[in-house]
Amino acid sequence: MLVVNGLRATVGEKEILQGLNLTVNPGEIHAIMGPNGSGKSTLAHVLSGRDGYTVTGGSATFAGQDLLALEPEQRAHLGLFLAFQYPVELPGVNNTYFLKAALNSIRKARGETELDAVSFLRLIKEKLKILHLDESLLKRAVNAGFSGGEKKRNEIFQMALLEPKLAILDETDSGLDIDALRVVADGVNALRSPERSMIVVTHYQRLLDYIQPDFVHVLAKGQIIRSGGKELALELETTGYGWIDAEGLAA
Amino acid sequence: MTDHALMSWLPQLAPAAPAWLATLQAAARAQVQTQIAAPDAEAWRYTSLNHLLEQGFVPIDETITALQPDDLDEVLIPGLASRRVVFVNGRYAPELSATEALPPGVHLDSLRDVLAHDPDAVRVLLTAEPATVPLFMALNLAGLDDGLVLRLDRAAILAQPLELIHLSIGLDQPSVAQPHHLIVLGDGAQATLVERYVSLGAAVYCTNAVIEIQLGRDAVLTHERLQTESQNAFHLSGLSLRQDANSRYQSVNLGLGSRWSRTELLTQFCAAHAECDLRGLYLAGDDQRIDYHLDVNHAVPNCTSRETFKGIIYGKGRAVFDGRVVVAKDAQKSDAAMSNQNLLLSPQAEIDTKPQLEINADDVRCSHGTTVGQIEPEKLFYLRSRGISAALARRMLCLGFADEIIHTLHSETLREHLSEQVGQRLESAPWD
Repeated sequence: MLVVNGLRATVGEKEILQGLNLTVNPGEIHAIMGPNGSGKSTLAHVLSGRDGYTVTGGSATFAGQDLLALEPEQRAHLGLFLAFQYPVELPGVNNTYFLKAALNSIRKARGETELDAVSFLRLIKEKLKILHLDESLLKRAVNAGFSGGEKKRNEIFQMALLEPKLAILDETDSGLDIDALRVVADGVNALRSPERSMIVVTHYQRLLDYIQPDFVHVLAKGQIIRSGGKELALELETTGYGWIDAEGLAA
Repeated sequence: MTDHALMSWLPQLAPAAPAWLATLQAAARAQVQTQIAAPDAEAWRYTSLNHLLEQGFVPIDETITALQPDDLDEVLIPGLASRRVVFVNGRYAPELSATEALPPGVHLDSLRDVLAHDPDAVRVLLTAEPATVPLFMALNLAGLDDGLVLRLDRAAILAQPLELIHLSIGLDQPSVAQPHHLIVLGDGAQATLVERYVSLGAAVYCTNAVIEIQLGRDAVLTHERLQTESQNAFHLSGLSLRQDANSRYQSVNLGLGSRWSRTELLTQFCAAHAECDLRGLYLAGDDQRIDYHLDVNHAVPNCTSRETFKGIIYGKGRAVFDGRVVVAKDAQKSDAAMSNQNLLLSPQAEIDTKPQLEINADDVRCSHGTTVGQIEPEKLFYLRSRGISAALARRMLCLGFADEIIHTLHSETLREHLSEQVGQRLESAPWD
C-alpha cells in the first residue's frame, strides 16, 4: 500500500529525513517512535504534502502512485489521511459544512456521486454514534475553542467519515490526559479494518497500550534504526532513547 | 478638483421651497463650495475624487414609471419577509413598494409628500448641520429632493423588518441620485431596517444617499445596510445618527458592490447609557475601491460604542478604513472598542487603515486594534489535507473570516444570501 524508499527531505539547509525506508501493507498498524527531533513529524508532513519541506531523494509510492508528485488534496482523494498533532482552529467555518465539503470533494474526485444534505446528515449521525460524540459538535466552528481532547476526537471523527486507506496519526496522544487518550484510542480501534492501515507516530509507549501495533519502528536522525513487534515498544519504555548516540546509531 | 463637476450635481432650487429650506440649502451649497475650495485633506488622504468627477454626473428630473413589480424580482431576496419601500433613481416608487397594514404609531411617507403638505414637520427632523457636515452630505442637503420619512411614535414597534430598497437603472446620461431619508424613533420605539442598494443592468450612475436617524430614549434600531450595486456604479452614503439616553443602535454595513464607494458614518451620543454597535464587511476586488469613514462621538458620559470592520481585498482592489472615536472631556466612563481586520489575497491588493482614538476624558475604557494579513498556510493545508481543493479551501477560509460579521445579520435568510454573494464574488477572485 505504502512503500517509502530511501526518502530524504530537508527543511531549509537541514536534512531531517536521511534515507528512510518503510513498507506498510493493507490492514497493518505501524508505530513510529523516536526521540524529539528524530524526524517523526517531518515524515508525517512529507507524506501528506505539507509545504516547507524539500524532498531531496528517494521515493514514496501509495496505492501505486508517486505520492510525492501529488497535491495534498489529491493524496486525500487516494485515501491518505493525516490526524494532526495540532489540529488547526478555523473560526467561522462550520464543522458540518467543512465535513460535507471534504467528503464530497473526495467522492467527486473518485467519480462517485456527491451526497445530498439528507444522506450526509444520516451518515454523519451514524459516525457520531460509533465514536460516542455529541451532535453539538456539528454546529460549532471547526476546532474553534475546542479543548485539546475535543480537537483530537474531531480528528478521529473526520477519519471515521472520510474512511481513509491509510491514516497517519501524528502524536495523537500529545496533550491528552489518560481518559481523553482512552476515548481517542477507542475511536481509532473502532476504525481498524483489514483494508485500513495506520501509521501511529508517538514519542511515548503509553498510546500503544491502547492501540496495539503490528510493527514498531524506531526513528533516529532521519532513519529507521530498529524495527520489531510490539515488544519493542515495551523495551523502549524501560530503556528510553538514551541508547541512541549522537549519530543516531544504536550504541 | 474642478468645482464645476460637483456643482452640476445640484438641481435648480424648487421655487416653492419654504424659506427655511432655501436658507438651509444655501448654507449647504456654501459648505460644498468651501469644501471644494479647501478640501479636508485628512478625510481625502487616501482617495482621489478624479475618477468620480470624470464621469460628468448630472441630476435627472425624471420619475421612472416604466417598471413593473415583476422587474423587482431579480433584486429581491427570496424569503426575506418584510414590508418594503422602493426608491428608483432616488425617487419614491409607491407602485413598487409594499407598505400595507403598518402597525399603530408607525408613519411612513415620502419626503416629497411631507415637504409638499407639511414642510414644517421636515424642519424639525432635519438635524444635520449644513455648515459642518462632510462634502457629500452637504451636496446631498443642497440637492434635497426625495427620500423616506419614517416616524415611530413613542413605544411603537415595527416587528417585521422594513426593507428600504434603492434601485438604480441607467439612463442615457450618467445620472446622480441623492435621496435623503429621515428616520425617527420615539421613546421606547423599536424597528429593524434593511437598507439595500441594487442595480438593474450595468450602467454607470452615482448614488449619493444620506440617512439621518434619531433615536429617542430606550429606542432600539437594528439597521442592516447592504450595498450590492453593479461593478459600474459609484456609491456614496452618509449616516448621521443621534442617540438619546439608553437607546441602542446596531448596524451591519456590507459593501460588496460598486466600482467606487465611500461610506461615512457619523454618530453622536446625546445622553447617557446609549449603545452604538457598528459592524461592517467589505469586499474589494478587481479594480474596486471601497472607503469607510467612521466618526463616533462620545459627547456625554456612560455610553458604549463598538466598531468592528472586516475587509477582504483581492486583485487590484483597494479599501480604506478610517475610523475615529472622539471622547469629549466630560464623557467619563465611555467605553469604546474599535477593530479593523483585513485579509489581502493578492500582492496588488491594498488597504489603508487608520483607527484613531481621541480621548479627552480620564476615566474611560477605549481600545483599538488593526490587523492586515493573508490566508494562513496552516489553515489552507488543513483543509486541503481533507481532500478540499485549494480554491475551495481559500473560499471557505474567506467566508469563515467574513462570518463574524455576516452571522450578526438578523435573519437566517439574509445570512445565507450574503454568504452566497460573498462566495460567488470570491469564486472569480484571482489568487495571486
